[in-house]
Amino acid sequence: MSDQTSYLGVVKAVLLKDLRIELRSKETLATMGLFGLVMTFVLAFGFTADPATNRKVIPGALWTALLFAGVLGVGRTFAREAKDDAFTAMILSPAPRSAILLAKMVVNLLLSLSIVALVTPLFAVILQVDLTGELAGILGLLFLGATGFAVVGTPLAVMAVNARFAEVLLPMVVFPMVTPVLIGGVSGTAVLLGLVFAPDGLAPWVQGMVAFDVAFGVGALFLFEKMVTE
Amino acid sequence: MKLFPVFTALGAVGIAVGHWLTFEVAPMERTMRAAQRIFYFHVPSAWLTYIGFILCFGGSIAYLYNRKAKADAFALAAAEVGLLFGLIVVTTGPLWAKAAWGVWWVWEPRLTSMALLMLIFAAYWVLRTYGGRGEGVRRFAAVLAVFGAPNILFVHDAIRRFGGAQHPDEVVKSGLTNDMRVVLYPSLFALLIVFGLLLHLRYRAHRDQLTVRAIRRRLARLGA
Repeated sequence: MSDQTSYLGVVKAVLLKDLRIELRSKETLATMGLFGLVMTFVLAFGFTADPATNRKVIPGALWTALLFAGVLGVGRTFAREAKDDAFTAMILSPAPRSAILLAKMVVNLLLSLSIVALVTPLFAVILQVDLTGELAGILGLLFLGATGFAVVGTPLAVMAVNARFAEVLLPMVVFPMVTPVLIGGVSGTAVLLGLVFAPDGLAPWVQGMVAFDVAFGVGALFLFEKMVTE
Repeated sequence: MKLFPVFTALGAVGIAVGHWLTFEVAPMERTMRAAQRIFYFHVPSAWLTYIGFILCFGGSIAYLYNRKAKADAFALAAAEVGLLFGLIVVTTGPLWAKAAWGVWWVWEPRLTSMALLMLIFAAYWVLRTYGGRGEGVRRFAAVLAVFGAPNILFVHDAIRRFGGAQHPDEVVKSGLTNDMRVVLYPSLFALLIVFGLLLHLRYRAHRDQLTVRAIRRRLARLGA
C-alpha cells in the first residue's frame, strides 16, 4: 500500500479505485464509446459530402463528438459514490477534498481521451479524410480540450447532483462554459489541416487553451473546499 | 426618509428625459442615421448587464465563503436584473447591426461573449427556477456564477483571435461628440436607477420568500 494520507497518495488511491472499477465493469466506457460511435455516424450523415468539404467539416464534427460524449462521462463522475451515501463518507474523511476532485478530473480526462482515441480514426475513415500527417497535433489539441472539459465539467457535475433535472441541466451548464476551449480546439484543428490562413500558426490557440486549463483547474481545486459540505 | 419613492420618481423622470434626449436632442449620425440612436439605450444596458453579472459573481463568492442566505439572495437578484438588461442588449443589438452592417449577426468578440454570458446566466436562472430550492442547488448556482463570469474573458479573447468584424462601439467611442455625450450619460444614469430599483425589489422579494418559508416551517412544527 502506498501512503494514502499524503495529497498525492489520496489522488492516487481515488484514481486507482475508479480505474479498477471501470476496467472491471467498463460501464461508463461502453456507454460513452457507443455514444461516441453513434455521434460519429449522425454527424457523418449530416455533413458528408466530397472529400474536400469533409476536410473542412471534420474539425467541427470531431469536437462536437468529444463534447457530447464527454458530458456523458462527466455526468457519471460520482455515480458510484451516490450509493449508500459514499460521497459524504469521502468528504468526511480527513483526505484533502481537492485531492478527491483532482483524481476525479483525471478519471474524466482519461475517459474522454479513450473516446477520442476511438472517434478520431473513425471520423477519418468514414469521412475519407487523411489525417495521418496532422494526427499528433490534433491529438495534442484534443488533449488540451479534454483537459479543459474535465477541469470545468467535473466540479460542476459534483454540484449538479443536488439539483432536479441534473442530467438535463449539466450539458446546458457545461457547454457554454467550455466554449473557449471549443473555439480554440476547432480553430487549432482547422489551422493544422490548412483550412484557414493563420500567420501566427497554432501558438495563439494552444496558449489560449493552456491558459484556460490552468486557470480553471487551479480555480476549481482551490474553491472545491468551499463547494462541498458535509 | 423613505428613499424608495424618491428613487422611483427619479427613475421615471430619468427614463422619460432619456427618451426625449435620445429622439429629440441627439444629433443625427452621419452614416448610421437614426439607427444609431439605439446606442443610447443599447450601450448603457450592456454596461448594466456586466454590472449585474459581476454583482452576481461577488454575491456567489460571498455565499460560498459565509453561506449566508442574504448573499445568495443578492446573487440571484443581480443575475435576474443582469439577464433583463442583457435581453435589452441582445434585442437592440441585432436591430442596430442590421441597420449598420446589413446583417443581424457577426462573429465579433463583444457580440459573441455577450451571447455566451447570457447563455451561462440563463442556465443559472433555469437552475434556480426549476432545479429545486435546497442548499445544494444554491451552492451549485454559486459555483456556476463563479466559473461563468470570468469565463467571459476567455471567450472574448478566443473570439478576438477567431477574427471578425469591428464592433461599432470602437468607432463610436472615438467619434463620440459632446452632443452625443449629453444624451448618453443621462440615459445611463436613468437606467442605472432603474437597475438599482429592480435589484432592490428582487433582493427584497427573495429575502421575504426565505422569511415566509421559515415561518411556514415553524408553524408546521408547532402544528405537529
